[in-house]
Amino acid sequence: MKQGNNALNVRETIQKFQSYIALVVIFIIGSIICVKNGRNTFLSITNIMNLLRAVSETGIIAIGMTMIVLLGDIDLSVGSVVGLVSTGCAALMMHNDLEFVPTVLICLCMGAAYGLFNGFVVTRMKIQAFVVTLASMNIARGLARLWSGGAGIPLSYGDAPGLAPPAFEVLSKRVGGVVPVPAIIFLVLLSIFWFVMSKTRFGRQIYAVGGNATAAHLSGINVKNVKMIAFMLSGLLASIAGMIHSAQIFQGGPNEGMSYEMYAVAAVAIGGTSMAGGKGTMFGTLVGALIFGMLDNIMGLKGLNSNVQLVAKGFLIILSVFLQAVKKDD
Amino acid sequence: MSRLLRMEGIGKSFGQVRALNNVSLELDGGEVLALMGENGAGKSTLMNILCGALVRYEGQVYIDDKPVQIGNPVVARSLGIAKIHQELQMAKEMSIAENMFMGREKCNWLGLVDKKAQEEEAKKWLSMLELDLNPHRPLKSLRVGEQQMVEIAKAISLKARILILDEPTSAISKQETEQLFRVIRRLASEGVGIIYITHRMEEVFEIADRLEVLRDGEYIGTVNAKQTDRDHIISMMVGREIKDMYPKEAVPIGDEVLRVEHLYLNTPQGSSSRPLHDISFTLRKGEVRGLAGLLGAGRSEVFECLFGVHPALTSGDIYIEGQKVTIKSPRDAIDHGLSFATEDRKGKGLVLLRSIGENMSLPLLKKFTKGVVMNTGAEKVEWDRQMEAMRIKAPGTGTLAGTLSGGNQQKVVLGRWLITRPKILLLDEPTRGIDVGAKAEIYQLINNLAAQGIGIIVVSSELPEIIGISDRILTLCEGKITGEFMRGDATQEKLLSAATLREEASA
Repeated sequence: MKQGNNALNVRETIQKFQSYIALVVIFIIGSIICVKNGRNTFLSITNIMNLLRAVSETGIIAIGMTMIVLLGDIDLSVGSVVGLVSTGCAALMMHNDLEFVPTVLICLCMGAAYGLFNGFVVTRMKIQAFVVTLASMNIARGLARLWSGGAGIPLSYGDAPGLAPPAFEVLSKRVGGVVPVPAIIFLVLLSIFWFVMSKTRFGRQIYAVGGNATAAHLSGINVKNVKMIAFMLSGLLASIAGMIHSAQIFQGGPNEGMSYEMYAVAAVAIGGTSMAGGKGTMFGTLVGALIFGMLDNIMGLKGLNSNVQLVAKGFLIILSVFLQAVKKDD
Repeated sequence: MSRLLRMEGIGKSFGQVRALNNVSLELDGGEVLALMGENGAGKSTLMNILCGALVRYEGQVYIDDKPVQIGNPVVARSLGIAKIHQELQMAKEMSIAENMFMGREKCNWLGLVDKKAQEEEAKKWLSMLELDLNPHRPLKSLRVGEQQMVEIAKAISLKARILILDEPTSAISKQETEQLFRVIRRLASEGVGIIYITHRMEEVFEIADRLEVLRDGEYIGTVNAKQTDRDHIISMMVGREIKDMYPKEAVPIGDEVLRVEHLYLNTPQGSSSRPLHDISFTLRKGEVRGLAGLLGAGRSEVFECLFGVHPALTSGDIYIEGQKVTIKSPRDAIDHGLSFATEDRKGKGLVLLRSIGENMSLPLLKKFTKGVVMNTGAEKVEWDRQMEAMRIKAPGTGTLAGTLSGGNQQKVVLGRWLITRPKILLLDEPTRGIDVGAKAEIYQLINNLAAQGIGIIVVSSELPEIIGISDRILTLCEGKITGEFMRGDATQEKLLSAATLREEASA
């Protein structure tokens, strides 16, 4: 009897921390198998920093997605918003000769407005978020193509007209030549939203609405506004990712950010957030994003065919959500 | 003669919790056995073992004196065991016939579903239960009581010999209850053994032949219904005598705190809410007002209108402490000193995945905010105070609301609303699904709150309860007020006839 209880506790504990355990296990596996010519290609500072940079874009999107999924909704438009904003910021700087600050402000507003639009349709027209954002995903792509004429806009920096302001290039730099700026932005944003979710009224409201919208409404919480704000923040965060993205690849274009919504949802799900809403944390999403990024990184280092990688990542998502869902049967 | 069903030495543990210990149950064909016990006594666990929903249990089940191994619901069904669930488990969009033949559809030679044959057969079973329903109708168009009858018809059509009814009357009207009892008696006369689970004492003596009582997972005893009474059963259930269920105390009644004039609710066609017609009443400080009526009479709707749930559909004037107020949302209502503890605690009251404390803070998040951060210090003072005042049994305020028993969940809901220091408390079925001990605590609490000068309106389906705790009682029928009774003047018969006034007139 006693032993049985202990076994149960161990099982529960493992279940509770399984994403953290997975992160450590994958880290160890990566450290062991990625050795080339006597050098560990995985455990180098450069590689770890590359990994952080690689997860920062989808990680930033996943922050917003965590709030949306906690509400029991989903935002499929974020990848397209990345495309729209990357096109927009490139066009504004290269074609319209805007300075750094106005460009960034306009891009942020674009993302926020887009999210607000999603939120408005979801809450006021009472259409499911899945349908709304599936549709608005196409709208954003279409707008981006109209804006750029379908082609990508390469970024080149300089002070002369027709060149982008050099300040924007910071987004592609590394602090001290080591720590990527996007990774810093990601971690700062994550900390801010961890604080928002765990310490502020808005965080409480998100958990309450996601856990039981009727109870929240009857407790005087403005459910619609909470959802609207969450969608707005999701769009805003996607626009930040969009700007980082175009700085990283020195180009903005309507086809950028493809499937980013999938990676963001994956990070959220792997991080243990319930797709039904009400349960999950920002820290979980960080772990989820790192697991996903690490596997990506390891598979890349091992030179795995990119199509195989895609298949593997798809199965990973199913496996992780399955593991989260497994409950004691009785 | 062989026993239809015998369960011997049944035990079951969930983790550390021992849910059942050495419990026995015997049932003959043609007999109605009432299974009684407080919430958490183990009734549901025992029945879940019987209908195959729980595997791995201790003990042995015999059917017709032959040992059987019930491993899953399919085996249970093939043994003739059927359970009518508390929350009906049927597809609401599909027709009666489709629901009855789900999983065993009648097919023609092409392999296509033969709807006509199904509906004819369904009709046959329905008429056996004296039900005049078109089997083609979608289930969602039926009332809860009718849906339940359809589920019983389905069970009978599956040749069920042991029928388990889990709180079948909790959501149906008096007439439907009577019809249900006729059906139960008829099935019993045809040799079906019936296990009947309920909290309602009056019903038990009306329908049951024998009563089995469980307490804390233990078998307490079985008695013949004719040789016992209510008090004896309650003392078996709670392990002590409860002398006075309703300790009503005389409280000075103060000034008027709420006046409702000409309240109308205009629900659109096809809405599940009952329209309200010209509701007017007053409530005084320290007064407990009962709102009686059948399910669907519009009782909850009155509360919802007062609380700003249907702002676009509501008209009428509401005065609080003499001042006319406009309530367009629950937020407005809370700010005007109203509190509303809903009937459906899990569905509408609590965020089950969050802690007791967070649930209590919900209406006052703004008040508990300091700068941009939640002022957890000020919150915790209130949480601890309510935990103690409500006597919530939980390890701490961080315990998840979903892990609590029904009684404790209700106390969390009440604690939440008391933090708002309400002037008016609306309680919708405050003791529904709560065990006897917790009920007594809630009644005592209602007394205490009235003594503090809070005006309280209580909706309840249990007439003895509403008579026991109210100063004045309003009866509601089909969205209209049909009677008002003073304490001492109200009897169950008077309330019931007022609550069914319109139905009889229109019938």
